[in-house]
Amino acid sequence: MKQLNIIYSFFVVLLLFVLVYLYVRLGDFELQAKKNIESVIIKNTSYFIENVEKNIKQHVKSNLYKSLKSNPQLRKELETNMGMLITPSFKYIYVLYRDSAGKYRYLLDGSKEEKGLFDMKFDIDTQAWDSVYLSKEKKIVTQDDVSSIWITTLYPIVYDGEVQGVIALDFSTSLFQYISKVLSPLKDIFLYVFVATFSLLVVILYQMFLQLKTKRESITDPLTKAYNRVYLRDLVEKINLYNYDVAMLDLDHFKKVNDNFGHDMGDYVLVNFVKLLQKSIRSKDIIIRFGGEEFLLFLYKEKKKESQATEVMQRVLKTVSQYNFVYENSSLQITCSAGLVKEAFKYNSVQQVIKKADERLYSAKSRGRNRIVESDISACVDRLSLGAVKQALDEERLLCHFQPIFTLSTKKIAKYEALVRLRGEGEKLYYPNQFLDTIEGTNVYRDLTKNVLEIVFEKIAEHQIAMSMNLNLSDIIDNSIYEMLIKELEASKSLAQFLTIELLEYESLANDILLDRIVAIKSYGVKIALDDFGSGYSNFSIFENLPIDIIKIDGSLVKNIDNSKTSYIIVESIARLAKRLGLVVIAEFVHSKAVLDVLEELDVRCGQGFYLGKPDILMPTGQ
Amino acid sequence: MKFFILLFIFTISLFASEQSAEKRVYASILKALFPEKTIVKVWSDKSEKGALFSKLDGVRVVAQKKDADILMIFGPEDIENCDKMIFANGYLVFRRSKGKAIGGFYWQKGRANLTFIKKNLEKEGIRLPKSLEKYVEDVE
Repeated sequence: MKQLNIIYSFFVVLLLFVLVYLYVRLGDFELQAKKNIESVIIKNTSYFIENVEKNIKQHVKSNLYKSLKSNPQLRKELETNMGMLITPSFKYIYVLYRDSAGKYRYLLDGSKEEKGLFDMKFDIDTQAWDSVYLSKEKKIVTQDDVSSIWITTLYPIVYDGEVQGVIALDFSTSLFQYISKVLSPLKDIFLYVFVATFSLLVVILYQMFLQLKTKRESITDPLTKAYNRVYLRDLVEKINLYNYDVAMLDLDHFKKVNDNFGHDMGDYVLVNFVKLLQKSIRSKDIIIRFGGEEFLLFLYKEKKKESQATEVMQRVLKTVSQYNFVYENSSLQITCSAGLVKEAFKYNSVQQVIKKADERLYSAKSRGRNRIVESDISACVDRLSLGAVKQALDEERLLCHFQPIFTLSTKKIAKYEALVRLRGEGEKLYYPNQFLDTIEGTNVYRDLTKNVLEIVFEKIAEHQIAMSMNLNLSDIIDNSIYEMLIKELEASKSLAQFLTIELLEYESLANDILLDRIVAIKSYGVKIALDDFGSGYSNFSIFENLPIDIIKIDGSLVKNIDNSKTSYIIVESIARLAKRLGLVVIAEFVHSKAVLDVLEELDVRCGQGFYLGKPDILMPTGQ
Repeated sequence: MKFFILLFIFTISLFASEQSAEKRVYASILKALFPEKTIVKVWSDKSEKGALFSKLDGVRVVAQKKDADILMIFGPEDIENCDKMIFANGYLVFRRSKGKAIGGFYWQKGRANLTFIKKNLEKEGIRLPKSLEKYVEDVE
């Protein structure tokens, strides 16, 4: 819409320029026409005046004043002849002489109106007439000061080298007015079109102004004047993550500010906090109010230059912590915490970057607040960085260990669960808790999932046995992972029936899109299992919402089943529930014969655990 | 519509320019004829011209001839038995009243013309300033 308005405006301005140009050209044309007419008139008047002079000289051979004074009949005759030249254009024709006092008086007047009498004084522009007397040459005078007269031609009557009178022919403005009248409609059209076009331009500009104003209002938080989430929605679509580091910022203990000082103070703190942010960041950085007291910062990073995000964030934290917020006799100091994500381009979407920044923000909060956390590396766990995981994938150091799942009644292996591992640069193995958090939400995570899926299908093809692998429910929602999954299933259609996907983190994610996608996955013959059921916030409504085939009872419930009555009752209930729902039950963490015996007693279909079989790189051949 | 607006503006501007020229001329005439008077009382037979005179500095328009210092005649006014100073306005009025009028002002062929009649000036004992002497004529 905005682009369309700009295009409209461009054409309207162009049209305006064309109209102005044509209007000016028309004015030039009018002026040129006037000049041409002037020159034609001068030619014609010269011809007429010369004839008048000839006529006078034919009748008066010398001493013009005396001859005419003494002969009224001759005056009448000459005036009649002169009067024949009078037309609407040639308005007045008369002859004046200059008396001894320098005044000009009538000798003859051929005019039909306002006729002057012989010897009567006539007040005219004496300067022009004097110059004709002096030069004895004809003169054209443009009459700007005389109404209804355009130009006057003055022509001297010379006897014996002496000027004895001057013939004047006044040319009326009617012809010029006629030309102007002819051109007038054309000029009017230009004028009307110009006015209409200009009005249109004004309307478009006003509309653009209103649009910009509305747009500005819609993307701005009314309290702090920072951008809001509507702006973020647009930004997400166009931002280049190579150019920005992302930080999530939150005021520490802000709730206490509202509780202890009131919401007005809270608002005051928020407004001034944003002002402090604006002072501390750079012009290309972007502030977005993400939630109540949560702000998102997009920190500009020049390509091929060292990121300055840490320095900027440190400056922000220092400025805020040193500022004294004073409002209506109350003052307080407040700090803020931040989660910073550098190399945001390594994540496959802005949402993932924001999620990561948010996680780090909470990490900063949990570590004592008033600090910046910019990595996930924990002090107690030997974690792999994102780059290290990527390198491991590139160098094909990803592998799977397979743990058998037994059918308890037959003691035969029903399937294997594929468990991902990364081999370090030596022989050291890294387990999922050492790298999955780091790569979650990135393209590396998707690539890793793809590799695991390929290994699983390879093993299925090799051994013609069922396999299961783990996925987060959020992976199914993630477009890129889901598309990759469907592509792999399509490529291995005949093997898909051997695959079970064990879903993790399924507590609150059931929705229509997810259901559609799981149905689509199941259409290839894939089975769906709920992993770690019974722990966390397991919700029984999931059985209503999702087409589940298998539930795996969480190890924490199974491991003490032989000693704990509570565990026993829960597992028994889950097993009975699953049986009634027609689901297969798998018990995890079968670590002893005692546990196995209880499970058999409870008629649990399958079991998995170190007592039955450890995960290994080699596929067990015995059953 | 635009034509009428332009015509109106043109007429107004012409009228205004003629009016302002007239105002200048009348101011000069009255100052020359009554150099000693701070207020010159003027009577006119044309009411709209009265408005013009009333705008001049040091001029008051009066309703009765008998109260006036000078009569500004624009039409066929009977001036034979009048003992007041008369000034003719318009060419025909000037020609008709040249025996009594002290002078005349009229437009001819688009140009403003001013004439003071010498014998009537002398009769009134008026001596014009030098700048207006060139307009003094022996009119028969």
